[in-house]
Amino acid sequence: MFGRLTWQAIPWSEPIPLIAAGVVGLGLAAIVAWVFAKGYAPYIWKEWITSVDHKRIGVMYCLLALVMLLRGFSDAVMMRSQQVLAFHGGGYLPPDHYNQIFSAHGTIMIFFVAMPFVIGLMNFVVPLQLGIRDVAFPTLNSVSFWLTAAGALLVNISLVVGEFARTGWLPYPPLSELQYSPGVGVDYYLWSLQISGAGTLLSGINLVTTAMLLLDRYLGFHFFTNEMGGNPMMFVNLIWVWGHPEVYILVLPAFGVFSEVISTFSGKPLFGYRSMVAATMAICVLSWLVWLHHFFTMGAGADVNGFFGIMTMIIAVPTGVKVYNWLFTMYGGKVRFEPPMLWSIGFMVTFVIGGMTGVLMAVPPADFVLHNSLFLVAHFHNVIIGGVLFGAFAGYNYWFPKAFGFRLDEKWGRRAFWLWFVGFYTAFMPLYVLGLLGMTRRMQHFDRPEWYPWVLVAAAGAGLITLGICAQVIQLAVSIRDRALLRDITGDPWDGRTLEWATASPPPAFNFAVMPNVKGEEPYWGMKTKARELAHLLTAEPSYQPISVPRNTATGVVTAFFAVVIGFAMIWRIYWLAGIGFIGVYAAFVVFAWRDRSEEEIPAAEVARRDRENRLVRTSALAKGA
Amino acid sequence: MSAVSSFSPVDPNHLGHNDLSRETEWDTPGRGEGGPASKSVIVSYGFWIFLLSDIVMFSAFFASFQVVAGNANGAAPRFDLSNLAVETGCLLLSSFLCGMASLCANRRRLFGTEIFLLLTGILGAVFLTLEIREFVGLIQQHQGPADGAYYSAFFALVGCHGLHVTVGLLWLGTMMAQIAAKGLRPDMLRRLTCFSLFWHALDIVWVAIFSLVYLMRFAP
Amino acid sequence: MSQQGIAREAEQGRDVGPGLGLEGHEDTSRGLRSYLIGFALAVGLTAASFWAVQTHAIYGPGVPVALAALAIAQMGIHLVFFLHITTGPDNTNNVLALVFGVLIVFLVVFGSLWIMSNLNHNMIPMKMLMDMQR
Repeated sequence: MFGRLTWQAIPWSEPIPLIAAGVVGLGLAAIVAWVFAKGYAPYIWKEWITSVDHKRIGVMYCLLALVMLLRGFSDAVMMRSQQVLAFHGGGYLPPDHYNQIFSAHGTIMIFFVAMPFVIGLMNFVVPLQLGIRDVAFPTLNSVSFWLTAAGALLVNISLVVGEFARTGWLPYPPLSELQYSPGVGVDYYLWSLQISGAGTLLSGINLVTTAMLLLDRYLGFHFFTNEMGGNPMMFVNLIWVWGHPEVYILVLPAFGVFSEVISTFSGKPLFGYRSMVAATMAICVLSWLVWLHHFFTMGAGADVNGFFGIMTMIIAVPTGVKVYNWLFTMYGGKVRFEPPMLWSIGFMVTFVIGGMTGVLMAVPPADFVLHNSLFLVAHFHNVIIGGVLFGAFAGYNYWFPKAFGFRLDEKWGRRAFWLWFVGFYTAFMPLYVLGLLGMTRRMQHFDRPEWYPWVLVAAAGAGLITLGICAQVIQLAVSIRDRALLRDITGDPWDGRTLEWATASPPPAFNFAVMPNVKGEEPYWGMKTKARELAHLLTAEPSYQPISVPRNTATGVVTAFFAVVIGFAMIWRIYWLAGIGFIGVYAAFVVFAWRDRSEEEIPAAEVARRDRENRLVRTSALAKGA
Repeated sequence: MSAVSSFSPVDPNHLGHNDLSRETEWDTPGRGEGGPASKSVIVSYGFWIFLLSDIVMFSAFFASFQVVAGNANGAAPRFDLSNLAVETGCLLLSSFLCGMASLCANRRRLFGTEIFLLLTGILGAVFLTLEIREFVGLIQQHQGPADGAYYSAFFALVGCHGLHVTVGLLWLGTMMAQIAAKGLRPDMLRRLTCFSLFWHALDIVWVAIFSLVYLMRFAP
Repeated sequence: MSQQGIAREAEQGRDVGPGLGLEGHEDTSRGLRSYLIGFALAVGLTAASFWAVQTHAIYGPGVPVALAALAIAQMGIHLVFFLHITTGPDNTNNVLALVFGVLIVFLVVFGSLWIMSNLNHNMIPMKMLMDMQR
């Protein structure tokens, strides 16, 4: 009746997950109780959960990412501390528990921190920068977000009910096949990714490879099994065809954030716009031509390895073009070292180092020594943290005032940056050394004395990063507390150059009362410069029209709810429940498709009121010579 | 550097091809004028991108099939060519009829649209029935998905296509009911466009499957 | 530029969505012709594919190539006559997206084939490797 689900699924005998689950569960219950007690529930449902507004969805994505960052980072702290304590000993985490932790760490950080953060920033900013009202498919946007959240929920449920995968963040067969991983752990991983992957449909190849592994495990297919003609290497090949473009999916938007931040805080337009675009396009194509560098050591011949090695080195060239463009943007400008700029400068130093070690490993003979060592681990953390995470933090600090109407506290922002920056180098530079000294990744314990000092330093680095994260939490708390002082009155706190800074902070639901007629590359800067010259706004008050905005809908959250039901049911082989889930998804789709009104109108008077407020504020700022 | 000294608010990075001394209007290339495209264009283009991602997904199944097909010539079944011809004919004809439904919808002919959609669906169902019978037959002959890598890859690829056809039929049925209830409103027309894109794309994928999976088995 | 001027230009430079190539054209016979010709050609190409594997008229080793060529041709017929994808400037975006998709398909399929065959060539068969470790 309940498939493989029994009371034994709850980890009664393992204190760490049990206590963690208890704390999280109580915390969540407390938050929910507080929301209901204060009467916020209708507001949250109406304005956030069922919202199809790109700004709200963007904020929710970023919130998901930040919350999951805490979970993923706790996994990291456990790994570092385990390695410190496990020199000539067992540490405190048994091996199969440790294996779940490093698997969860990678899975959460890539799929539920990096991706949502980047997608959230894009969601919030891009329509505003383009001068339009919303994304093309607002309801789909909401569904995508909620499916991502559903995947995150499943991963977290595995902490309480059952276990997680022990196979690393990319579950290579044969270990991930049913024969060697008979438990539910890999199934949790697979269903959570299929569901959230359905939300980001363009990761088609990832979907397929995951689907193949599911077919092998559930229906006895033989894609990746050793017997009956299957080939485990096929998994490795296909997953990295997806995996490499994925990391570029993560980092290119971060590059976009840096272009924005660096040009704003240098007071200059971005240098070499055309070459930036060309470099981005080149990276887009080249990123599909390098994937074998993730498995140089797995038996391909020298010709194949050589081809992919050379392509990997070539992809460094357009990336270098971009770095030079950022540097030249700063050159001759009036640079302001606010927190977003600090993150950007930190990125340029850190990412270049990480990139260089990547090019080093692109040489197949070198990779034969370094593959799966801590050198590799240091490299990818170097580029992902230095590139994606620093970009996310820069974007978070930069656009926070636009989203919420008040800036983040600058003092704590600086402290957070420096703690993260010093902490990062302290935590990961020793890993390069360890890799060269021969330490492999994912070790639950080790015996070599010459590794020990470096492991200790790395753990200290993790401690510094913890302080950095604490500083970020404090920054948020202090900013909320002092929000009256930090208020962004004009909507343009950084003297920005792009269109989102033309709106109020936060922008009204319709973004722009009249869609701007955009000319030139930095239209807002052009408008602002001219307006400053004239000391008044360029245009007279427009004739306000009512604006249609998409209606909110519960489709996203309902679909995701049934998706969680399907995932959980399939994991535990409760097939009748999965059937109910599928029916629920179809029903939600039909209900949504049947509605007659997809938009609602904001009356002209309301549009006028919001826009006049903005115009008034801007006019008085211009009069004061701002 | 020169970018700073010759700063121009209209064209700060000198991207334009106009003679700026004449202060002419900025000439935005592409579709920059007139604001966003119409909703029907946006919806169909967005669906097109989704379809391309779906085709990338099929290509991953296809790649994995080709990898095992090369090694498994002895083990692979000899498919029933006449069954294949009927299946192909059904799908192709259904695509054509779907096109007829689009034409009727263009002319806002509700009844004609519904009739052609019904015929599309019937032919799709025939295709699916023949395919399921073929699958059942293969499984009974111990040539099912758990019987070896070739069959796993075959069932996954062709099965994925069949699953898409099934979902398509479910979508078709739901849409036919909706059109009957609500008429050929603009949003219904947009959905019909998406459906016809989907159905034609499935036929395109089938062309690859029947040529390179089925017929390839008979190549000398 | 006046609002009407902008609208006029937009009309002239307007994009056509995929599958919408016949929109707005009152001449249904043009559309019907497109589908009929496409259908006829597709049937012909399909028949040709079936014939290609059964006849002895084609050089044996060349049959797979013939099948591939016929398949590509038929896919083109579908794109042109059923989906109304053209090479006009109003279809540029559709074609660009398609080309990118085709590029990825090409890379995934041929890349995988190259890599996997290289691996199979160089590595001991998996089964033997596992047996060696028992």
